[in-house]
Amino acid sequence: MKYDEQLLLTFLEKMYLVRRFEQKVYEFAEKGLVFGSTHLGVGEEATSVGTIMNLNKDDYMIATHRGHGQELMKGTSVNQMMAEMIGKETGICKGRVGSMHVTDRAVNNLSAQGIIGATFPISIGVGLAIKLKNLSGRILMSFFGDGSTNQGNFYESLNFADIWKVPVLFVCVNNLYGMGTHYCRTCNIEIYKKAQFFNIKSDVADGNDVVEVYEKSRELADMVRSQGRAALLELKTYRISGHSAFDKHPYRTKEEIEEWKKLDPIARVEEKLKASGTSTQKIADVKKKVDGIIEQAGNFALESKYPEFDASMEQ
Amino acid sequence: MREITYSEALREAIREEMLKDKNVIMIGEEIGQGYAGVFGVSKGLYDEFGPDRIIDTPIAENSIMGAGIGTALMGMKPILEMMFSDFISVCFDGVLNQAAKMKFMSADQYSLNLVVRLPGGEGAGTGPQHSQCLESLFMTIPGIKIVNPSNAYDAKGLLKTCINLGEPVLFFEHKKLYKTKSEVPEEEYTIPLGKGRIVRQGKDITLVAVSYMVNVAIAAAAELNEKYNIDVEIVDPRTLVPLDTEIIADSVKRTSRLAILEETYLRGGIGAEIGSIICEKYMDLLDCPIKKIASRNVPIPMPASLTNEVIPNKDRVVKEIREMFAG
Repeated sequence: MKYDEQLLLTFLEKMYLVRRFEQKVYEFAEKGLVFGSTHLGVGEEATSVGTIMNLNKDDYMIATHRGHGQELMKGTSVNQMMAEMIGKETGICKGRVGSMHVTDRAVNNLSAQGIIGATFPISIGVGLAIKLKNLSGRILMSFFGDGSTNQGNFYESLNFADIWKVPVLFVCVNNLYGMGTHYCRTCNIEIYKKAQFFNIKSDVADGNDVVEVYEKSRELADMVRSQGRAALLELKTYRISGHSAFDKHPYRTKEEIEEWKKLDPIARVEEKLKASGTSTQKIADVKKKVDGIIEQAGNFALESKYPEFDASMEQ
Repeated sequence: MREITYSEALREAIREEMLKDKNVIMIGEEIGQGYAGVFGVSKGLYDEFGPDRIIDTPIAENSIMGAGIGTALMGMKPILEMMFSDFISVCFDGVLNQAAKMKFMSADQYSLNLVVRLPGGEGAGTGPQHSQCLESLFMTIPGIKIVNPSNAYDAKGLLKTCINLGEPVLFFEHKKLYKTKSEVPEEEYTIPLGKGRIVRQGKDITLVAVSYMVNVAIAAAAELNEKYNIDVEIVDPRTLVPLDTEIIADSVKRTSRLAILEETYLRGGIGAEIGSIICEKYMDLLDCPIKKIASRNVPIPMPASLTNEVIPNKDRVVKEIREMFAG
């Protein structure tokens, strides 16, 4: 199959940006600059890039606790994202909350929650408001992980999505593990099939193939937009990085990680480009540009100040 | 002036704000078609505003809370009704971790207009899971307001403020108050949060009473005055967060005695909080130890023979306050 070169280069640039962002955060973590939980999604880049390219600027998004890629793709500046990671006042949330709760009203990123599953009922509320306020044509893309689908409010929300007919596309980033527990130890039913019990149209895709993610999510996003009802897309992927930046992977083998590295979404898009005749120089140029953006964002974050306590924070 | 019930006052507040702003909606169980609210607060509103404004839900408090947070994030002004305040436990995560923290976590990018109406308190044998006053459980959480109207006038004025406040509010109502009447003007008015009210002036002791316990305090004060010549000053804080510590402290400066009367459980209760604030700042004003009068640390029972022992009533208040004058 022949792909549009410019589209493939866009995929590459965006996925490489997300990858390099995560690597920079990891570098900061190793230097002791990252406090608390920081969840990296190395290997999952296609799931955010392929889906969010189908959103309009005025569409809404809710991210996961492993949401850096989603948040960058929705449009938050790399500088503000990077500064937030290490708790600097120039961060998008003024450095108050760090990795897990990036919210950016200017790009309709409505928040990310650290309580797994908490975003499902909130997503229903957002969808309800889109309907009630007659914002027709807009949709919410609500990301969640495989682990959250064993929370009760996942099922509650699928039911509400059906009876209230809300324009929400639920996107599952299924990276196989909820922290260190494999999905197969937690549930016998595939995630996209769970939606079908509630008459929610759903599909499943190779989450490491950005072209497939892009095409399948476009199809469902178009349906949600035109029909004003919910859908669910499950993306099967794998995080090469640990659960958190400090993870030592006690729950999986090196061999397993190596197998998944062979399915790396960035390498796969590079192969497609090369097969279509794109020069290695062109690919290198894209990467060089991104490296510069990340380097600059890292410096911006490092040079920024830590936030100061202000009595108005007391509530 | 006309008198209306607490229920009617709440309904007027909701209706007036719904007429002003189509972003004001109600979400809850049994609030629209059929029952129109188990305590009748939303009576007639479904017929007037329709199913897109008065939104009935399945029995799923978690989703009601999520729908409230989500619509508020989108700039709407949802008023949620928990059928009984006890049911808020089902959606505690939404209260504690999402609603309360959204403003701080987003560095003020989002502030939620979100009111959760909570019918609480013992109401003729409703038992352990339908009778609790839970205010003190929530007082420790930064980021939510706690409002406790004790009469129809306050109910209307406070609810109107809360609907437009831009911060999440737990609005605690009381079953025994819904049918009580008080004077409520026809004209528009609102009541700010954090402003208490002197219900009865007195010179011997300050009795801070919350929600329905204001009525119990009034009855006890009358008896204490008539039979024992003790002149009680009753302060209704009206909101617990923010708390009008000034009105309480000013009263204590005059009376030199303080008791706190609440239907919440005694341990870790409202009295503990108010008492400690007064102790920290004004201990030298006190002539005797502070008295906390609250529900005993017992799940609220069903029969009156037990609730009369567990929940403060007039006789217990009279007895406990007399003890403060025994020395």
